[in-house]
Amino acid sequence: MMEYENLKSELLSSVDTGLKYARTKDSKVEFELYLFYQRISKANIKQGVVEATDGIIEGNAVRASEKNRVSFASSSGISIDRIKRSINEAVASLKSVSIKDTRFKGFCEPKKPGKEGIFASEILNLGKEELINYAKDLVKDGLGFDNKILMAEANCEAEWGGFAIGNTLDLQQASRSTLNNCYVYCMAKDKEERRVGYEFDISRKSLIKTEGMGEKAAQKAINLLGARKLDKATVLPTVWKPIAAASYFYASLGQSTRGQPVVEKRSPLTDKINEQIANPNLTVIDDGQKPTGIMTAAVDAEGYPQQKNVIVDKGRLKQFMFDTYYARIYGTESTGNCSRGGGPFGATLPYETSPTISPRSIDISTGNKNIDDLIASIDGQAILITDAPIGIFHSNVSTGEFSVVAGSVFLIQNGTKKWPLQPVSVSGNFYKGFEKLLELGNDLTTTPFAIETPSLVFDGFSIVG
Amino acid sequence: MLEKLQECVEYGDKLGAEFVEARFDDLVLRTLNRINDNWKDVILRSRAGTGITCYYGGASGYSFTASEGKKELRETVSRAFKMAKAAAGAATIKLSFDRRPKIKSKKAEKFPVKIHPSTKDLTYKTDLVNRAVENAKEFGKKISNVTGLYGEMYGHKLFTNSEGSTVDWNFEVVDLRCLVTSKTESGALVNGVEGHGGTKGMEFFNTKGSTPEDIGEKAGTRAKEQLKARSCPAGKFRALVENRLVGVLAHESFGHLSEGDYIVVGGSPLTGKIGTRLGTEHATIVDHGTPNISKFGGLWVPYDDQGTKANKTIVLDKGVLKYYLHSRGTAQYLRQEPTGNCRAVHFGFIPIPRMTNTYFTPGDLTKEEALELLGTGVYAIQTAGGQVESDGSFLFKAIRGYWVEKGEIREPLREVALSGNILHLLSKVEGGTKDLRFSAGYFGGCGKSGQFPLPCGFGGPELVISEVTFGGKAK
Repeated sequence: MMEYENLKSELLSSVDTGLKYARTKDSKVEFELYLFYQRISKANIKQGVVEATDGIIEGNAVRASEKNRVSFASSSGISIDRIKRSINEAVASLKSVSIKDTRFKGFCEPKKPGKEGIFASEILNLGKEELINYAKDLVKDGLGFDNKILMAEANCEAEWGGFAIGNTLDLQQASRSTLNNCYVYCMAKDKEERRVGYEFDISRKSLIKTEGMGEKAAQKAINLLGARKLDKATVLPTVWKPIAAASYFYASLGQSTRGQPVVEKRSPLTDKINEQIANPNLTVIDDGQKPTGIMTAAVDAEGYPQQKNVIVDKGRLKQFMFDTYYARIYGTESTGNCSRGGGPFGATLPYETSPTISPRSIDISTGNKNIDDLIASIDGQAILITDAPIGIFHSNVSTGEFSVVAGSVFLIQNGTKKWPLQPVSVSGNFYKGFEKLLELGNDLTTTPFAIETPSLVFDGFSIVG
Repeated sequence: MLEKLQECVEYGDKLGAEFVEARFDDLVLRTLNRINDNWKDVILRSRAGTGITCYYGGASGYSFTASEGKKELRETVSRAFKMAKAAAGAATIKLSFDRRPKIKSKKAEKFPVKIHPSTKDLTYKTDLVNRAVENAKEFGKKISNVTGLYGEMYGHKLFTNSEGSTVDWNFEVVDLRCLVTSKTESGALVNGVEGHGGTKGMEFFNTKGSTPEDIGEKAGTRAKEQLKARSCPAGKFRALVENRLVGVLAHESFGHLSEGDYIVVGGSPLTGKIGTRLGTEHATIVDHGTPNISKFGGLWVPYDDQGTKANKTIVLDKGVLKYYLHSRGTAQYLRQEPTGNCRAVHFGFIPIPRMTNTYFTPGDLTKEEALELLGTGVYAIQTAGGQVESDGSFLFKAIRGYWVEKGEIREPLREVALSGNILHLLSKVEGGTKDLRFSAGYFGGCGKSGQFPLPCGFGGPELVISEVTFGGKAK
């Protein structure tokens, strides 16, 4: 079993051995080899049902290329035998068909790596008993908060691991990290009405702080009880609190500024560099070098140094996010955003995913008002959305059209937060929404989507309730 | 490998586990992705690993490894046992289960297909994608992008446990899809999509309606039609919901709420409602691991990942709740029988209650009668996914639709979002068509508790529903 201290050197040693073997297969073929290793422990308690897991995710992936042809093969495990298996399969695929990718211009060239994120030794030492106790306390605190709390679920995880990447252009890089996270989810019930509240914590630099989380989640659920019907179809301003706002960003700019839909002409932003696409108060930065960012690493998943990229500056679209492949087609440099299924909705076996593009850590600019002042500034009716609406991640990147159901919602009337509402449908177009972004709050919050955002106020969305 | 699994079980028993399950998956996954004239992905994945569940004091501990060495397997069993033992003290709801007679499958059971995907070379499969993409170009208009996808997953699944059961079968699924994006005069992008998949042989792609040419033609034609489609009006309307979307409705909005783990903890609004009328007589929902795939399509799941044989479970019978979907532990806790629904997305996860093929049963209407019964409202077609909350509120995306007036299709609508509460919706089902169709595939899948994407089948007839909330453009 690997140890954290020598993880990078052991993975790099295997990469070197694998590439040497690959070169013996065919000197005309270029190769890239990626190794992934992660030790993960988690405890899940639903009410009183306990499931605990402790395992090792390990695997390898090989890309082989010759004359504009590229193949990919992966296999579970990082032993030399498994690596050889992937190399052999990648070569067999490459040789068996004549299909081409004329846009492929080679693997990532070696460059000086960036910096690693913060490492926390206490996460390495987080034991199974502690994780179980954290989860147990979260459930207990949630259930004990009020007799209207029907059910509580908590999940606590700790992980450490890393990856190494090498290719026949003499690139060899590695990265490692620690992470722990938890969530608690409480359901309140009154007669036949059921409402849920949610709290989370995630960190790569220190242990999760579970104190008070169970109570907060329970309070959120109870606050939503007694919901009334909106009972109309209309157009209203909407106030999106940070978690809801982060889901809006992730589903919209988080997708459409990726190089893939841009180059493939499936992004409506393809031809809009330097155009004003949003309120001038909006600046969006993707920072792959933020020390506390959960996706921060010295290099991305193809070995390119991660960096800080300004995506939107004062409402003007400045840059897209790229890996080497799409950057070269677009005629620019990679922005260090190559990913292999990582991120908040990442693949559970990341090494199986061929290189793609994803944000690292998105920071949204702030305004001057706190949430109460944002609400107070609204005339007439508006809707306050306090959690990620359902369906938002099923939205269509190419059209920008979205229609979601917001379950955690309150009516705002003449500057005052009134009563909770039964779930409402919220529809509109993401990009028109940014044009009608009225205000940004100052309540900057870290969210589970690797996005730090304040509350946002939009105008012009259709509401049905 | 079976002997190694048996050794794992023996070792777990020896450590003191009350019950041990050991499983091994050895699967091949292939993805082919052509974007316009370039092959973006030619991917082959070999996914092999062992998962061990140890039960102790009513709690479960799970561990997994990609290694097949004796030492690593023993370490994996040891980790699973230690996790179970550490968890036992926190378990206030204990999901223990009684021992049952051991079961033994045939050796390497498999669904009979004429041409298994493993027998066809890569060129044959890239040709399927090429044919779909080229035909999409023929039938589309103002195209900005055509994507063709082929996927397959097949391989061996082995299982044994402390009862001495041995289960040995072969999983198999294939999938071919085409997506066309076109650009309207105003610069807006619209989509047309078509695809077919499930536990099928490659001969499936020679049958009418499922050939690459048919798939490409439909995707291209639909994108072309969407160029002149308008946004769906917002509000509450009558609806005719097409088979694939009905299947997602059965799966997402109702199926998940009937899963035993949600019931045990009281998290589902279906808790304690066995025998209660929840819907109209036209609403019958079934989960079945081995439906008549040759006739209707779907996914073949003859055993779950706890070694329980597939079952046909009538969850909702003519509107009345009859049964839940179970693991062995949830079944015993709720005093029902295991239903063969304990599944894991891959060896890295503990099996939990999941669906297999979930569907509404057909009614007695013809398509014309269904449109007539609809009268005026929205005909919602194809699925772009959906989601349900624990209170029963749901949202589903239909890729396209039509506005219907007095039983006649009037004009195409762009992406349509349906929302509401499933318990309310079931009371609004007015009837179904006679045709039953299942969908399944390699791309996409079901997500639950971080386990995504699990292949599932879903289906039904077309359903007429008297009131659905549509998100769209409010006046």
